[in-house]
Amino acid sequence: MSEEEAYEFVKGTLKKERITPYTEDEIPVINSVSACINCGLCINHCPVVAAVGVDVFSGPRSIAVELSRSPPEYWATADKVYLCTGCGTCREVCPKNVDIPEVVNIVRRRIFEHRPDLVPKGLHAVRETLRTHNLAFEPWADIKEKNESREMRLERLELPLVPDRHVSDAEVLFYPGCQAEERSQEVREAAKIILDHFGVNYTLLEDMTCCGLPARLIGDDATARSLTEKLKRDVLATGVRKVLTTCAGCTGNLSHISERDHWDIPTQHLLEFLVEDVGMERLAESLGKGTKHEDVTVTVHDPCHLTRHASRHIMDYALEILSLIPGVRVSASALHDSCCGGGGMVSYHSSEVANAVVSENLVAIDATGAERLVTPCPLCTAQIESNLFKAGSSVEVDDLIVFIAQMLPKE
Amino acid sequence: MHMETEVLVIGGGLAGLVAGTRAAEAGHRVLLVQKGHGATAYSSGAFDVIGYLPDALEPVANPVEGLSVLAQVYPLHPYSIAGFPVDVESGGESAVVLALVSETVEWLKDRLDKTPAALSGGLDSNLVAMTVLGTTKPTCLLQKSMVSIPEMEGEEDGVLLFAGVRGYADFAPGAAAKVFLRDRMMNKKYPQKIAHCQVRVSPSGTDYNISGVEIARHLDHPGSIDSLAKELAVYIDQFGATDVALPPVLGIQNAISNKEALEERLGVRVFELLGLPPSVPGLRLQNSLEQMYLESGGALLRGHEVVSYTMEGDRLISVQTKGPSREIQISAQAFVLATGKFIGGGLSGDKDGVREIVFDLMSVTGEFVSAEEASPSRSTSKLAVSPLGQPVLSNGVSVDSFLRPVKRNGLEWTTNLFSAGSIIAGYNYATEKSGLGVAATTGYTAALRVTEYLKEVAQNE
Repeated sequence: MSEEEAYEFVKGTLKKERITPYTEDEIPVINSVSACINCGLCINHCPVVAAVGVDVFSGPRSIAVELSRSPPEYWATADKVYLCTGCGTCREVCPKNVDIPEVVNIVRRRIFEHRPDLVPKGLHAVRETLRTHNLAFEPWADIKEKNESREMRLERLELPLVPDRHVSDAEVLFYPGCQAEERSQEVREAAKIILDHFGVNYTLLEDMTCCGLPARLIGDDATARSLTEKLKRDVLATGVRKVLTTCAGCTGNLSHISERDHWDIPTQHLLEFLVEDVGMERLAESLGKGTKHEDVTVTVHDPCHLTRHASRHIMDYALEILSLIPGVRVSASALHDSCCGGGGMVSYHSSEVANAVVSENLVAIDATGAERLVTPCPLCTAQIESNLFKAGSSVEVDDLIVFIAQMLPKE
Repeated sequence: MHMETEVLVIGGGLAGLVAGTRAAEAGHRVLLVQKGHGATAYSSGAFDVIGYLPDALEPVANPVEGLSVLAQVYPLHPYSIAGFPVDVESGGESAVVLALVSETVEWLKDRLDKTPAALSGGLDSNLVAMTVLGTTKPTCLLQKSMVSIPEMEGEEDGVLLFAGVRGYADFAPGAAAKVFLRDRMMNKKYPQKIAHCQVRVSPSGTDYNISGVEIARHLDHPGSIDSLAKELAVYIDQFGATDVALPPVLGIQNAISNKEALEERLGVRVFELLGLPPSVPGLRLQNSLEQMYLESGGALLRGHEVVSYTMEGDRLISVQTKGPSREIQISAQAFVLATGKFIGGGLSGDKDGVREIVFDLMSVTGEFVSAEEASPSRSTSKLAVSPLGQPVLSNGVSVDSFLRPVKRNGLEWTTNLFSAGSIIAGYNYATEKSGLGVAATTGYTAALRVTEYLKEVAQNE
């Protein structure tokens, strides 16, 4: 047997041994683990550990060092690895830059491939939806009902309806993401109102496709890649020079994959676009002469996918924009940047863990004395809103984009 | 993406946060870039200033004495350099250095006073801190919840109770009691009546596999200290304890008030032991310093690290930072490098030598020999824990009298880059027990130098 034949033979046995070789973009992540000094600093900061303890969720360090086991044994981590919300706090505080949230994805990918029976059932259900509809949520069966729901939401928020815009020479693409497309439709509408107000030449996609983040988090790499490939084709066909989103998860994920897959156009959260492209002067002018409204104290929640998967400075933008609105006072929560529990697909199979994570935040939110919580992510909005409601809190919750749209002058 | 500030501090440990706070208090616009958490977050809760002189095996009597000798005998020690901005008359060095360290310590104590990491102690005497291993060490300041009681040493009838938490593996009260008793007998000190026990604190309902941070968070919640008091009362009664030593888990926010609540309810003296890193007191210190900095008006950019820089003539004009998926260019007029050593990420070492990460500055050993091509293993002692320590910990950059890193010719690398903390070479914080003291003093001084520099620039324009 020649050396080459031997190599091919060994490669052929990997499947039987339940080993998937690391892909090129996984290698740097795997290498980062070798820098781990096993100090455990990350455990002190992990919001899941804080909520349920190391006995239920053994924490980021243990996930990082699982890699020292042989790959066929990845399945042995299945009772822990699905409890990570992917907030990225461990990676941020790590003195050695170990990319623990990506290790989670790498391990989940192997479990999905070799032991799909150990993947929580709730995640298989999401996967079915993704594969059938290219969306993370089952789309509305009746478009009329979808439109009615949208109108009800707009009416409640006193927002006008701006028609969808599909043009061929647009500068930017507005990508609402699955949550705003199918569920929190008011976020999608609010973004259109804002873009329209500032005269931005934007377009929407004819056919919404999920950014692939849920599939990545489930560990289904094939589905994640087929979604992002379709999305890449559709986005590049529009000829835009930039993608704008209102979802923190989409922002983080699209920033990551557009670089990985060489899209050659950047993805930004709408907040970044407003501050960097529209500019503070125009924002100040529009928000300063906005609709008369009562004074309001708000508190802000920082979505992990913006702060720890894109960049912390985006939330500084959020505060700068809020400071332009007359009558709005910000009261900071002590846990403003602590995970809401809505990430990592945890709520799809272990809602008790997801809700335990957010429960600490609820106490801190109540302590701010704010009447309203705003956050630039429809997923955080939904998670915090439902938990505040269940806890009997009087604090109302709005997506920050909706809040900004409400503060613009009515034309 | 571009940002602009007057002073940019690179590094968010104690040195950087002190430099940033002090500069902001002087009226400068400050931005601090912090990648993650470094050595400060590993701190045990003890704030060392100077415990041993370099190469000495006996501790100094107190920091005042230690600093006085240091200023006379070790002119290249960071304490000495920080203290000598201007010509000091021969013989006056000690007074200058003492005054500077004293000013720094008083300033920091004041700024941390309302935080969970409030400090107790002063330069006139070193405190004896007790650890979870039952050993003791000299330190200058301690977090208020961690001060063990000096009176204890003189009380023949005192009974010290080491109380562990069932299921919390980082503290074995039985072993600590044994080690501590042996030390007391050998040194003929009190208390010599030592007991130990395990109490139940169950943050998630179980009494196994519990981490310190869980207990601390649990004890922050209102009411949970009462059940700990009830548990302790049984053993205090049984042993007639006068003092109780707990692991450092009394709270992230409320450790001090929890200590006071326990003392009031139980009629004994209570304190936390120093823990192994990364401990809850380290978390309290890091959080408190960040709070101090933000309250001074400084801006904080977390999760970014500096990846490149731009010079114009002999001045540094901007750096490029990288976050998870965004890059930002930051221009400033003055810069402070406070990136730490090997843990903080300011230095890296491999077989080819020791490298300063951000600007590729000249690195030197503790003896001020170039470390750029010296393998760190040559400055590493084979004995992991030795009284002489690991010489590699004295590596860093060499600085001029303005704390500016220097080139091979001894002149500053650039006019507007100052440095603070353990990136500075020439002292071994681990053997000297001087880590946080040097970090605070050089951070404080770097801010003063920045102010002087900016004033000079403004006058010349």
